[in-house]
Amino acid sequence: MSQNNLSKIIIVAKDEWRYWLRSKLAISVMAIGLLLTLSSVIVTSINMMELSHARHELQEDAEETFVEQPDRHPHRMVHYGHYAFRTPAPLSILDPGIDAYTGNSIFLEGHRQNSAMFADQKQGTALTQLGSLTPAFIVQTLAPLLLILIGYSSVSRERESQTLTYLLSQGTSGNTLILGKGLALLSVIGLILAPLAVAALISLHDGESITAVLAFILGYGLYLSVWALLVLLFSSALSKNSESFTALAFVWILLCVVMPRVASTTAATSVPAAGKLETDFAVIAELRKLGDGHNAADPAFDKLKAELLEKYNVDSIDQLPVNYRGIIASAAEAELTHVLNEFAEQRMQTELSQIHVSRQFGWLSPMVAIRSLSMLVVGTSIETHHRFLREAEALRFEFVQALNKVHVEKLSYQDDMNRNKDAAATQKARVSAENWQVLEDFNFEVDKAKQRMQRSLAAFLQLLLWIVLLVVAIRTIGKRLI
Amino acid sequence: MVTTDLSNALIKADSLCVSIKNKSILKNLSFHVDTGEIYALLGGNGAGKSTTLKTLLGFNTPSSGSVTIEGKEVNQALNFVRGKTAYLPESATLYSHLTARENVNYFLSLADIKKTDDEINQAFDRVALQADARDRHMQTYSKGMRQKTAIALAILREAPIFLLDEPTSGLDPVAIDEFNQLVRELASTGATILMVTHDVYGACQVANRIGLLRDGELVGEFAAAENSRIDTEQVHAAFAQRGTA
Repeated sequence: MSQNNLSKIIIVAKDEWRYWLRSKLAISVMAIGLLLTLSSVIVTSINMMELSHARHELQEDAEETFVEQPDRHPHRMVHYGHYAFRTPAPLSILDPGIDAYTGNSIFLEGHRQNSAMFADQKQGTALTQLGSLTPAFIVQTLAPLLLILIGYSSVSRERESQTLTYLLSQGTSGNTLILGKGLALLSVIGLILAPLAVAALISLHDGESITAVLAFILGYGLYLSVWALLVLLFSSALSKNSESFTALAFVWILLCVVMPRVASTTAATSVPAAGKLETDFAVIAELRKLGDGHNAADPAFDKLKAELLEKYNVDSIDQLPVNYRGIIASAAEAELTHVLNEFAEQRMQTELSQIHVSRQFGWLSPMVAIRSLSMLVVGTSIETHHRFLREAEALRFEFVQALNKVHVEKLSYQDDMNRNKDAAATQKARVSAENWQVLEDFNFEVDKAKQRMQRSLAAFLQLLLWIVLLVVAIRTIGKRLI
Repeated sequence: MVTTDLSNALIKADSLCVSIKNKSILKNLSFHVDTGEIYALLGGNGAGKSTTLKTLLGFNTPSSGSVTIEGKEVNQALNFVRGKTAYLPESATLYSHLTARENVNYFLSLADIKKTDDEINQAFDRVALQADARDRHMQTYSKGMRQKTAIALAILREAPIFLLDEPTSGLDPVAIDEFNQLVRELASTGATILMVTHDVYGACQVANRIGLLRDGELVGEFAAAENSRIDTEQVHAAFAQRGTA
């Protein structure tokens, strides 16, 4: 591109801005867009920062409360349970992703794998639903509409008022004109993204990687560029402002409303997942095949009993140097966890398969592409949630088994069996609170930036393909522009 | 009919055929316009007048024949041609959100031409655009005022060739007189003017030569006698004769 051509492009872009500044509609639309993004960034940032702080505090509280429990029977502590909180990723101030739906904390207890809870979307009253106007939602869904409102007439206006022929007849090429209009729209994108970029940069202070921050800003820049190019394409190809607006409105509905739903429906249809009730019944059926960890006499543990008697060369369980009930509890927990983990892994694999099908729709809809890209880069995607579930489960299993170990080693079988005889026996069946120091610090970290980048590569490619195709189409139209 | 001497031709169409969407619009059209000449291409609706102008600007590609400006084939020298020509569409639509001065500055900057405010005012003076209107938004302008602005711009661009599409349609008689006077003045300074119009009287008043266009064909051509304009009756008669043939 020659210097002369570049200066012409800038002249056209400046004039487009002059037109917008003198047009009340364009200015109003820009002001609304900027205000919406800005307010949403501020509100969501404050909200997420509070949430992050609260979760951090709650995690510490939960740990403190657990270790401050008095002397108890160790199995009571297994049922007393513990909480694992997921601290939000630094960039989730801009895109809470699936966190808002999946929940952010899990109650960890023996013999059960609980679902995550306290999902923001389930907690909100009708009034607080306004909270779902996240910066990501505004830029993904509303910003394209703003670009359409501002730019639908950028070229068609020139054609409709015959200034296009006049411009071209004076030696300005169609491509120069379109590039100038495109540059003006890019500057609007810059304005819309400015609050987002500033908030993203602020997240660096919370430990976010610069790579992730830049990828996040780049991703949204690419996404809005796709929309600017779509606006230019339709405005250049159609002869009337009304035609351009109608076509772009239809494209917005198709790409931002219809396609994401088609994507999720297709994913759910092509990779069917068992319902919760169905899964729960299947889990119960499998668990029934295992022994009851609370019942040391359960025949399911006969083999284990025989092995133990042989190992310690004794004739009965009360001669064992360890608490047989604790060993049964530990073995039962291990078997139960194995079964539960198998079901959990199956469910997670199904969810992943569904999400992979859904993400393929990014080739057909830039909205689907940016949604995937945003959540993957921020670390609020299903992959991160699954890692949280696995880490929380590992924590659960570890602390339950640690308590079972206390049960095995710190409480005699006789005291354990006599625990309900009288108050003194109950007291004797308790172990010292010093034994509750079994909790590992739970500090859930977002995935490494490199891993997040690798996961989001396909979404970047999807947006880039959109841009390449649109640029080719616009250049073709630009050559024939009249 | 006039004899053809092409030695001085600045604009030349030779057996020009143009089809748009498989419909033949111009059929073997041949004419030329000499330097400093005012040539009016006269015809009714759908005769191919605007197509002729757009072909001269390189917006249409001839299916056969040729069209040249200063000897250069239009479609092979688009930048050269567009740099030499000042085109005035039927409704000289400049940007209504800009003032006349802003419009002129915008188009000049796109053409990479720098002019001082004095030079711009001189051009406005030359086309008699009122001083108090020059910094007013053009949405308040009449068609005549818009044309004056467009011509002022063409003057500032120093384009030697003017292509005017129905320049007097929609103008009141006073504005038409002013416009014709301006066109003659431009021609007297060496500008070459090709105007297409369906206004027989207007064309006869201002043109040195008139070509009659019917269904994309040149059906007649008349030259004015020295120091006089074309005889309207003669043009009418030629059109009528051809129409009944």
